[in-house]
Amino acid sequence: MTKNSSIYWNPLLETMDREKLRNLQLKKFKRIFEWAYNNSPFYKKLYRDAGIELGDIKTYEDIKRVPKIDKGMLRNTQSKEPFPYGDMLAVPLTEVTEFRQTSGTTGTPVYQADTWQDWEWWSECWAYILYAQGYRDTDRLFLPFGYNIFVAFWACHYAAEKLGCEVVPGGVLDTEARILKMQELKCTAFAATPTYVLGMADTAMKIGIDPKSIGIKKITCAGEPGASIPATRKRIEDAWGAKVYDHIGATEIGAWSYMCTVQKGLHVNEAFFLVEIEDTETGEIIEEPMKSGKMIITAFDRYAKPCIRFDSKDVIRWADYDCECGRTFRCIDGGVIGRADDITKVKGVLLAPTAIEEVVRDFEELSDEYEVIVTKKGDIDDIMLKIEIKPGCESRKEDILKRLKDQLRVKTNLGYKIEVHPYGSLPRYALKAKRFKDLRKH
Amino acid sequence: MTVDDKIDKIDEKIREIKEAAGEIERLGGDIEAIKKNLVRLRASVKMLELNVSDVKMVM
Repeated sequence: MTKNSSIYWNPLLETMDREKLRNLQLKKFKRIFEWAYNNSPFYKKLYRDAGIELGDIKTYEDIKRVPKIDKGMLRNTQSKEPFPYGDMLAVPLTEVTEFRQTSGTTGTPVYQADTWQDWEWWSECWAYILYAQGYRDTDRLFLPFGYNIFVAFWACHYAAEKLGCEVVPGGVLDTEARILKMQELKCTAFAATPTYVLGMADTAMKIGIDPKSIGIKKITCAGEPGASIPATRKRIEDAWGAKVYDHIGATEIGAWSYMCTVQKGLHVNEAFFLVEIEDTETGEIIEEPMKSGKMIITAFDRYAKPCIRFDSKDVIRWADYDCECGRTFRCIDGGVIGRADDITKVKGVLLAPTAIEEVVRDFEELSDEYEVIVTKKGDIDDIMLKIEIKPGCESRKEDILKRLKDQLRVKTNLGYKIEVHPYGSLPRYALKAKRFKDLRKH
Repeated sequence: MTVDDKIDKIDEKIREIKEAAGEIERLGGDIEAIKKNLVRLRASVKMLELNVSDVKMVM
């Protein structure tokens, strides 16, 4: 229908004129707002208490008046009927076909209900991601994840099927068996967290298989910010000889952002989501590029448990560049830079854990694993970095440590105590890694 | 045919599918195999609406 349509899943939306796109967002916001007001007791009370009624959303500016929700509210509503979702549910329980829950990294897990239509929507969002990353019906995609209560790559599976890819579910296999199966089937792609992708490369080498020899062409990462951190992405691409693409999503939101084959920023799927970036100090919505704030997000087309102005606590920033791919969906720069509750002051300096990862992963003499521990001794903050030096590089330990300390000081303005641990002794993670531990709060 | 004309035409066809689904449901009565498969069909049709019919809102 339009020029170069083959690189877009849907050129009608992905190349839509910005003014039309903004207008579409307003109309879709009104639609989901009215749905939630009319069908979810939780939302109806929330909006009535805030003095907002049906018909009050007339302009884009009016959206800012709509109360935000957060994870605490999602948890609290679960104590109400209907079990186990609570009164945020906006459809009869008999229409719910899917249960998933959040990982519980930041507290009690949130239970997520989806109807079959919502589930189709999940895979539609993922279809945009996979198509933009070059997946086609010639791909054989391996999915090495647990297929359990966490949403993880479930929708990726369904979306890949929708695209016509051949999907190999690597569910209960262990890492070695997964690698052997990918090799045997000559898989062309796989999707996992960056931590696990690196762990798989490590395991492959241990069993005598060079990951590059398997023939993987592309890897889609999610669940952690790694694939948007240049040093980590390079490490993965070097290990596998494949292109690595990032994607961001969340159980309670949906799959809202993706890197395309240009590999610059991450496009926000603005036809399906409204992303607002809020200044954490002033509460104002940030429109200007490269200024960080926390993300407030709305999913326009998710009906069972609507997600309207959800304060995700993810810190992001609009990019100051347009992507060469021709999509008009805005990009965020550097993926999720941190969590509003993770970005913390250490010794009076604002620190984002991703900045440490960027430095560590840039040292080819260091293993993929590291750990950062912040403690307080008296009134003084103390920051410790635990690392592993790769076998064969130990003789250069003093030089490595000196360069590492220098780089950390340059990138984060902080001095670190560094502990070198034997190779293979730091914890390995299959899903989301917890490498930053701030023990001052406990 | 312009892009807008094509969107109009596709939207018209989507509405015809929805009407046909309603008719099948009425004819099927209590037959579960019909009712439950129509849930799936309607979910797919909804995705067509999100991708095409919604564009009409801003044409």
